[in-house]
Parts: sequence; structure tokens; C-alpha cells
Amino acid sequence: MNNQGENNIKLGVFVLTGLFVLILSFYLIGKNRNLFGSGFTLRVRFQNLNGLMEGGNVLYAGIQAGTVDEINIINDTTMEVTLLMDKKFKPYIRKNALAVIGTEGLMGEKVVNISAVNKKAALIENGDQLAVKRVIGTDEMLQTLSQTNNNFAVVSGALKTTVAKINDSKIWDVLNDSSTASNIRASLNNITKTTANAREMTRNLDQLITQTKRGKGAAGLLLSDTGFAADLKTTMVHVKATSTEVNRLAVQLNQVVQNVNADNGVLKLLNDTSAAANVRKSLENIQKGTDGFNQNMEALKHNFLLRGYFKKQEKLQKARQ
Amino acid sequence: MATSTKTREFLNETGGIARFTGQLFSVTSKPPYEVREFLSQCYSIGYRSFSLIGLTGFIMGLVLTMQLRPSLVYYGVESKLPMMVGIAIVREIGPVITALIFAGKIGSSIGAELGSMKVTEQIDAMEVSGTNPYKYLVATRVLAATLMLPILTVLSDAIGLFGAYIGVNIKAVTSFRLFFTQIFQNLQYGDLTPAFIKTFLFGFAVGMVGCYKGYNSNKGTRGVGSSANSAVVLSSVIIFIIDLLVVQVTDLLGLN
Repeated sequence: MNNQGENNIKLGVFVLTGLFVLILSFYLIGKNRNLFGSGFTLRVRFQNLNGLMEGGNVLYAGIQAGTVDEINIINDTTMEVTLLMDKKFKPYIRKNALAVIGTEGLMGEKVVNISAVNKKAALIENGDQLAVKRVIGTDEMLQTLSQTNNNFAVVSGALKTTVAKINDSKIWDVLNDSSTASNIRASLNNITKTTANAREMTRNLDQLITQTKRGKGAAGLLLSDTGFAADLKTTMVHVKATSTEVNRLAVQLNQVVQNVNADNGVLKLLNDTSAAANVRKSLENIQKGTDGFNQNMEALKHNFLLRGYFKKQEKLQKARQ
Repeated sequence: MATSTKTREFLNETGGIARFTGQLFSVTSKPPYEVREFLSQCYSIGYRSFSLIGLTGFIMGLVLTMQLRPSLVYYGVESKLPMMVGIAIVREIGPVITALIFAGKIGSSIGAELGSMKVTEQIDAMEVSGTNPYKYLVATRVLAATLMLPILTVLSDAIGLFGAYIGVNIKAVTSFRLFFTQIFQNLQYGDLTPAFIKTFLFGFAVGMVGCYKGYNSNKGTRGVGSSANSAVVLSSVIIFIIDLLVVQVTDLLGLN
């Protein structure tokens, strides 16, 4: 009898445990569907439900906040979804909150996402209707992608033509030329050397400028000498005066040249062939006169009256040499 | 000729089981009620099967998780492992595996027990003594099997899910709370209720087939073994047939 009672107790524990687990399972499932406890309802009107079903989850800022309680067709373009919300979210959801149908994960079930708007508004009340946030659907994305694809095909075709042209062009020959690389390398080496030289030049120039600034060298002295400006100014005045004088002389010279070029001028005389014959004849007469004069002078040297003077002159000349 | 005989035997068997089942409803509704024997059978059928069912449930959850994991990792949805294991255990694997284990243990036990009572003429003796053997032996066992299998299934599911939790944590780290939150977030009444209801049918089938085979045992002690064996085989087949029918009905009701 005692054994029977003990067995009954064990059986009772076994059955109660099973029932407890069963009831707990039902409770946990119902709790997730907001079937227990008081909540509040919200309404949202969509044009397209994208597969949203009754019992689907409602997320507020990514947190499970309720379930889709009912779906009604209002007209051919409007579907009204009634959301059964957990009451603990009531103090946080405002009237300007936006609802959108999203997907749980990449390929998950459809859910209603409610997001807050960063503007002040009154808190939501039971039965309020939320505004819908418009998002780009998969179909629209695919349409845009199709257009992009067509554009890409056009660009691809143009690129193909361009590549073909490049292949046929001389540039391609240059690129295919094995010596191009070595030439480019040599050019680069030259550029490197040039750059080094330029750097050296720049450094020297920098030194020169530095020294010039310090007043070293001729340029430095000129640039740093404060009296130089005054001298330069004076010089420039003098140059200006000289220039004026030169100008005046040039005018006079011009006058002279005009006189020379005149019909009765010297230049006319030079161009006259008869004058040239006269001059040549005169020069011959002069030559003859000169020869005669030389003979007279030689005769004078041998004259006893003047011989002493000439000898004295020769001695003086030798002494100077 | 042989086919005709087999068909006749099959129809005879089917008719016998139907009559046997109908007799149960007529007998059970009338007093006196064998409450003490019913509780005793509940203890031996339910409580004493718990350790075996619990162990198989635990292993089932653990192995299922470890087998599913590589495929889910391959597709990059490893995070869905608790959801998949939870739905699989609650909807199908838990009830069916538990029912099959139950059929193996209880179906054979009932078939052998009643078969030995039959061949040793204890059942006839009960009739002579004024006790209704059907009510005392069959009704109590069938009712006990019908009511105990759902409880065993619920507990087996719970243990199986715990095994799955351990299976998940062998290769990764998931908190106990997160694991069960993920499971129950994705479970619906449409998953749990049909699975729970069909376990009553499984239990009833196992009890009824075991009792029928044992109650109609013959050919001496050899028949006892045959009864036990055929009780397990037939009840296992009936479990799958019931499962198939319940899935169809569930689908028609829109619960899938």
C-alpha cells in the first residue's frame, strides 16, 4: 500500500512536471505574440504589404514591440494593418513616428519597423494611425539596376571600340617595343640626375640669395649699400643729361650729313668721276712735288751750313732709343 | 489464391482492430472505473518510461544540432540554428521519435504481458471471476498510454532542446536565455498545438495495437513473442500513417 502511494506521488510529480513544461511553452509563445496582458493597437495603411502576414513581428527601434494583429483591405491600393503593441512602449512612441515594412535578416520574414522622428510630437494613443515611410522597393531597385546595366553595355561597347583603335594605333607599337622600357628607364635616370642638378642649383641659388641678403658679394653690396641708390640716381641724372647732349650732337651731325649729301657737298664731289681724275692728277703732282722736296731736303743735309744740325738730331734720337 | 487469403487476413485484422477499438469506447464510458489499475498503468507506462525517453530525447537534440550546424555554417546562417532545431524538435522529431521509442518499450510490453495472460488463460479466469478483463486490462492501458505519451513528449522536447543548447555550445558560445528566446520567438501555436494533439493519437495507437495483439495472442508461448513483435511493428507503422494524416489536416487548416 505504501509502495502504491509512493508510486502515485512519483506519477503526480511526473505529470505535473509535464503539464508545467507544456503550459510554460504555451505561455512563452503567447507572450512573444502579446496574447497575454493589456496592450494597445495602432493602425498603419500601406499600398503594398510585400508578404507581411498576421502574427508578424513589429519592431520599434529594432526592439520587439508587438505583432501584426489584423490585415484589412480598404480599397484596391490601400491595406490597413492593425498592430497589437506592448503597453510598455506607449510612453515612447510619438504620433509622428514612421512605419515601414522590412525584412528580418537577409531572407527572413516581413516585419513592421517603427522608427522615431527627431521632432517634437504628442505621445501616441490607442488606435492612432501611423504615417508610412516610403522606401525603395526591390522592384524599383531592379529597374534602376536594369537601366544602369543598359548604360554599362553602351559604355562597354564604346570602350571596346576605343581599345580596338588603340590596338591598331602607333602608340601600341611604342608600348610593345621592347626598347621602350630601357629608354624610359634611361630617361628616368636622366630626370633623376637633372633633378639632382636642379636641387644643387636651387641650393646654390639659395646660398647666393642668402649671402646677397647678408650683403656679401657685388650684388649683395649693391643691394645692401644704402648710398648706392643716391649714386645711382645721380648717375641716371648724368646719363639723362649726356643723352640730351648726344641727342643734340646727333641733330648737328644729321645737319652735317645733310650738308655733305647736298648737291654741292663733299659726297657729291666723291661721286664725281672727273673730280676723281683731277684728284688723282693732283696727287701725282703732289708726289712729284714731294720727291722734289725730298731731294731739296737731302741737298740741305749735305749743305755745310745745316750738316751740323742734322747730325745733332741723329745723336739725340739714338740716345732716346 | 494466396493473395486472396492474405487480403482476407488483412481485412479480418483491420475489422478486428476496429471492433476492438469500438469496444473500448463502449466499455470505458460505463462504471465501475478501474482508477487504481489506471494509475498503476500510468506509473509503469509513463513514469518508468521517462528515463529512456529523456535519454533518447537528449541525444536526439544534441545530435540533430551537431548534424545541422555544418550545413548552416556553409550557408552563413549559423545564428538560425536554435530556431531550426527548436522547430524541428517541437513540430516533428520530438513527437515521432518519442512515439517510436514508446512503441518499442510499451507496445511490446503490453503485447507480451497480455499475450502471456492470454496463453496462460488468466484472462479467461478473470471473466469467470466476474471481472471485465477488457475494462481492467485493455481500457486502463490504452488510456494510460494515450495520456502519458503527450506528457513524455513534452518532457522529451524540453530535454531535447537542452541537448541542443549543449550541442550549440560545443562549437560556439550562446547564453541559455538567448538560445531559448530565439526558439520561442520563432515558435507559434501552429507549431506546438498540432504536434501536441498528435501525440494523443500516437499514444492511443500504441496502446490499442499492443493490447489487441496481446489480447488476441495464441499458439502458446511462441505467440507471446510474436504478439510483442507485431505490436511494435504495427504501432510504428501506424505512428507514421497518423503523422502523415495529421500533417495533411494541419496543412488544410492553414497551420503549417
